[in-house]
Amino acid sequence: MKAVSVKNASMHFGDFTAVQDVSFDVGEGEFITLLGPSGCGKTTLLKMISGFLQPSSGIIEIGGKDVTHVPPERRDTAMCFQSYALFPHLSVADNLQFGLKQKRLLTAERKQRLQDVATKLDLTAQLDKLPNQLSGGQQQRVALGRALTMRPSVVLFDEPLSNLDAKLRDSVRMEIRKIQRDYNLAAIYVTHDQGEALAMSDRILIMNNGRIEQAGTPHEIYGTPNTSFVADFIGDANILDAEVIGEEGAGRWRLGTQIGELIAASAAPPVAKTLKVCWRPEKAQFGPGTENTITADITHRAFQGNYTDLFVMIASAPQRVQWRDNAVGLADSLTMHIRPEDIIFLEAIA
Amino acid sequence: MTWRSWLKLGLLLAPGLGLILVFIGSVVYIAIAQSFGLFSLSGESEFSLEYWSRMFERLTYNRAIGYSLYVGFASAFLAVLFAYPLAVWLRRPFPGSLTISAVLKAPLLVHGLVAAFLYVNIISYHGLVNQIMQGLGIWDGPHRLQNDSRAIGVLILQTWKNMPFALLLLVGSVSAISDDVLDAAADLGAGPFARFRRVIAPLSVSATQAALVIVFVGALADFSFQVIAGPVNKQSLSQLMVFFKGYGRWHDAAVVAVTLMGLGIAGSALLALVSRFILRGGRLS
Ligand SMILES: Nc1ncnc2c1ncn2[C@@H]1O[C@H](COP(=O)(O)OP(=O)(O)O)[C@@H](O)[C@H]1O
Ligand SMILES: [Mg+2]
Repeated sequence: MKAVSVKNASMHFGDFTAVQDVSFDVGEGEFITLLGPSGCGKTTLLKMISGFLQPSSGIIEIGGKDVTHVPPERRDTAMCFQSYALFPHLSVADNLQFGLKQKRLLTAERKQRLQDVATKLDLTAQLDKLPNQLSGGQQQRVALGRALTMRPSVVLFDEPLSNLDAKLRDSVRMEIRKIQRDYNLAAIYVTHDQGEALAMSDRILIMNNGRIEQAGTPHEIYGTPNTSFVADFIGDANILDAEVIGEEGAGRWRLGTQIGELIAASAAPPVAKTLKVCWRPEKAQFGPGTENTITADITHRAFQGNYTDLFVMIASAPQRVQWRDNAVGLADSLTMHIRPEDIIFLEAIA
Repeated sequence: MTWRSWLKLGLLLAPGLGLILVFIGSVVYIAIAQSFGLFSLSGESEFSLEYWSRMFERLTYNRAIGYSLYVGFASAFLAVLFAYPLAVWLRRPFPGSLTISAVLKAPLLVHGLVAAFLYVNIISYHGLVNQIMQGLGIWDGPHRLQNDSRAIGVLILQTWKNMPFALLLLVGSVSAISDDVLDAAADLGAGPFARFRRVIAPLSVSATQAALVIVFVGALADFSFQVIAGPVNKQSLSQLMVFFKGYGRWHDAAVVAVTLMGLGIAGSALLALVSRFILRGGRLS
């Protein structure tokens, strides 16, 4: 059974369409990330699932039941808000127990869960404080704990780590994942941080302009993006306009591009005769190869510690290369090659 | 703070606070002094507890206290009771909400005396209400609604006049509660009533207290509604005060005035405390 099914959901605000015909499922215990730029409709979609917004059309199912018209207080979801939304008049302990009291849980069970979550999130020393006496990171963890104590069938996270510093973010991220696994919760996690999405998710849904642009595992999304939006949004990509000149045997195509003729190998054929293709900067291979050998002029270099970013010009097309071997850095030009299987077909050019 | 900053603060406050202390303070002082026989306008001034002790024995005085407290508390309660749901409803703007809140605030612009006359006209023996009820066949003949003995007319007028004021205060504090906080409560299983009880009410304690106290103090000292629409067999404290003054009995009038002030303070404190206790779900801190 699916924990959540969203079927053809759309949301219009007047003339504006915030979410358009979105469909996806979340399995039990699955951790799904909605990734997309700010304003693409992620929060709106979460609010439709939790029930704060009625979809303009479409169906929301939770645990196999149609809940499209069920109010939020009777949906088995818990949301961790982007703004935390802590109750300012209640202590941390009362914030954490708000939902449990509403559920009329037995006192012993309630105390047990409170202790449990406070220990897990390192909040035991803060239980008597009011939210405005906490640091941002602590407030964040209270918001997280308040949702998790409910042990709902689905937890919804709206950019829960956006206000934490990098170190804390890493540890809270792991803690979220651990708790989610421990309780086998289905989770929908919203973020605009691609690193976070790649690191945490079982599956990523890339959103753009209210639509799902691509769905897949982190490896699929990174390795075989379908569109230049996805390729560019996740990781770095050199995107080129290409024309298919001919087929070179099974699954191999000859392309004409701004940086010269290239051979591409792909299980799936190109979607059109003229299309976008991309290759990842870290896929550049040092020295000449049997195919796709390229000479590039280095225009700028940026040392990044474990690699060097090289900004190069190939036949007047600016490209980016990541070089593991920092020693290569001082020459004016370099010879490299791209393996055919590292060239990825994207969308057609209209 | 150093003495310099105290001095600065004192000087800054002097024009406003000084005026208040001098004018209000002297009036309060004179009223209290007069109730003990001093500042006599006619005859010898002499300190005496006689005015108070004789007043306590008067039935009209004791009844007036009970009656005025009733009008004060009931009006405060009703005004807030009607204002609260409206404040929650008007929390966020929606098409037409501006018009609705403008109409709701109209009573603020109508003087109490005018409102009382309009009301009396409507409920009079041959007034609108009687005609409608007879027209609908609910009543056989005209009923006497004016100056009803339970002061329902006064309460209706007080509520009508004060509700917009309570609304103004409550809308301010209720709309300050963020949508996310209310959504979070709903998300954690709180239905509309639980959201009100556990989030909205505790977060608008101060505004509710202010509304209750201000309406209470006004209604406690009600004069105009009472004179025109109030029960003829009961007197409010203000009425009693005016009555004494009319006979030149300044010391008795001062006793009633001081009583009004005392009840105003004590009643306000009680209201503030009780409302805080209730809205916080049985806790004072
Ligand atoms: N209540 C609303 N009324 C009108 N427009 C809205 C409303 N809520 C969101 N939007 C618009 O919908 C779009 C998507 O918003 P949102 O879901 O918050 O984006 P995200 O969370 O991905 O940053 C934005 O352009 C936003 O301005
Ligand atoms: Mg958002």
